Amino acid sequence: MLLEVRDLVIDYRATRGRVRAVDGVSFDVPAGAVVGVVGESGCGKTTAVRAITRVMPSSAVFASGSITLDGIDLVPLSEREMKKYLWRDIAYVPQSAMNALDPVWRVGRQIEEVLVDRGGMDRKAARTRAEELFAMVGLESKRLGDYPHQFSGGMRQRASIALGLALSPKLVIADEPVTALDVVIQRQVLDTFTELQKQLNLSVILVTHDISVVAYVCDYVVVMYAGKVIESGPVAEVLDNPAHPYTMGLYNAFPELGGGDRELSPIEGSPPDLLDPPKGCRFRARCPFAIEACVSDPPEHQVSAGHLAYCHRALEAGALRETAIKTATWVGVASE
Amino acid sequence: MTQPLVSVKGLTKRFDVSRSLRDVITGKQPQLQAVANVDFTLAPGETLGIVGESGCGKTTLGRLLIKLIPATEGTIIFDRKDISEMDRTEELAFRRRAQLVFQNPFDALNPHFTIFRSLKEPLHNARVPKEEHSARIAEAMEMVHLPAPEHFLQSFPHQLSGGQLQRVVLARALVLRPEFIVADEPVSMLDVSVRAGILNVLREVRDRMGLAAVFISHDLALVRYVCARTITMYLGAVVEDGPTREIVENPLHPYTKALVQAVPIPRVDQSHDPLPISGGLPDARNPPSGCRFRDRCPLAEARCATEVPRLRDVGGTRRVACHLV
Repeated sequence: MLLEVRDLVIDYRATRGRVRAVDGVSFDVPAGAVVGVVGESGCGKTTAVRAITRVMPSSAVFASGSITLDGIDLVPLSEREMKKYLWRDIAYVPQSAMNALDPVWRVGRQIEEVLVDRGGMDRKAARTRAEELFAMVGLESKRLGDYPHQFSGGMRQRASIALGLALSPKLVIADEPVTALDVVIQRQVLDTFTELQKQLNLSVILVTHDISVVAYVCDYVVVMYAGKVIESGPVAEVLDNPAHPYTMGLYNAFPELGGGDRELSPIEGSPPDLLDPPKGCRFRARCPFAIEACVSDPPEHQVSAGHLAYCHRALEAGALRETAIKTATWVGVASE
Repeated sequence: MTQPLVSVKGLTKRFDVSRSLRDVITGKQPQLQAVANVDFTLAPGETLGIVGESGCGKTTLGRLLIKLIPATEGTIIFDRKDISEMDRTEELAFRRRAQLVFQNPFDALNPHFTIFRSLKEPLHNARVPKEEHSARIAEAMEMVHLPAPEHFLQSFPHQLSGGQLQRVVLARALVLRPEFIVADEPVSMLDVSVRAGILNVLREVRDRMGLAAVFISHDLALVRYVCARTITMYLGAVVEDGPTREIVENPLHPYTKALVQAVPIPRVDQSHDPLPISGGLPDARNPPSGCRFRDRCPLAEARCATEVPRLRDVGGTRRVACHLV
């Protein structure tokens, strides 16, 4: 296993108290695999993966947990030791193609800086490597002399992928890499990304809110809700046989081009306030299948090899799926 | 055939863009053609989706339709009246009958206004008698499935979730009982689980009020869910128009084909065939001659560089602007 995250807990200090944004999250990234972390705004997906890089806002508090990369526990490392791993072993491709690059520096210069400062290359070798990287992501090398504003959104996203790959890291963490892009450009960037991933045998964590992106590029998926992992496993398993009602709901709420006249079912209500999260299952207020047992913490249930779900009713998943497809199931569940 | 509610002819919008030093010296004003010679009609109660990439002019078209900005050329006829030639009374009536639903619900409401005040404002502006206000607001709230107890109406935007805000924005557009609404990416800011609720409300409103609606989105899957008919735009021009189902199942224009193929689906067994087109949108200030899509088109031939393809009927209610279809 290249990366093992265990029982990760991250808090944010807020004026009204501590917000537990990530609450006991565990997942693995096998070498050469693409793992999707999926969930809605505020579910803690970005916080959880940024904790791996330790680049976090000052209000974030690492409360507990372990992060093991290639057998080395990253948590006890000092800031300085940690820096050795960034870019070289772990690269972060940030959210928002628009803001990831420094607007006052030429794009080529930004890539060369990483190669020289972190990779120990000389300027000339860095230049050649930058040209090579641009070719890899499908950009012309003459564009290295441009400023970020001269790039379109898709080109900027390609450039930040090039930056992430600069020092051939073992693990690439890409946070919503295609969210701000139009469908055609999104598809082109994803295709380039998948091709590179296969060619370089990259291990990738891809954070997204879009299950169709997960279906398109990921091998494994981790579904998060209100700071917790609620289901995880191989993509085909989880998407075809979801065992947690939230995953079922997410699927039924997703408009699909070839979906015929299937009516979409919204999940009513909103996620709980993490300042004061409910006891037991955090989804229960919005769940059409909630029972009395749900006030206690949901057990881990192994659905099949590698497919885990955290739900009291995971054993009945097959029957629940049949009911979940019906729109009426989801009407009037949440009490606001 | 019934009289169309909205009829658009030769609609063109050009914006001035910033000048280079050379332009200043030679006294030129470069322009960008955001909407290029667009024609279509919309029947009462019809729902029309407009899809295309960022920069294709779909938002500008929406703003023209609702008379937020004036057209450079061409006409928009709303219920037999040219909207650029309305007198004050007619204009006031138009402002009541045609409404816009904004994209970002977090910005669309005044943060200092209570929900009640945000909903009352349009009624007040349209001179609806005061004693009707409460009933009209309750009606609009019911339409978008929001609870209307006093404490909800007295809350402020920051106290509501994104989904609730978007419902309020929609209720504000509906409170004047319009006949025509333009919704510009009304769900793009929302999470998937909430999005479905807004889309369902849009469908219900469409069926219950018999509204004519233009739904602008970059996502063909959303448009398919709400609109019976769809127009595809590319670089300011309409390239395809027809029933949504037919466009999705059998797109004719090479650009629409690529658009349909690019829409991701939440299934593992989806097609990974390479897209038939490459590259991005060309510079809108200097679009290709002839067909604007030709430099990305896999089928382009010599004629495409010289002749602008006309949007022509190709049977049924479908229209395509391509020499080769």
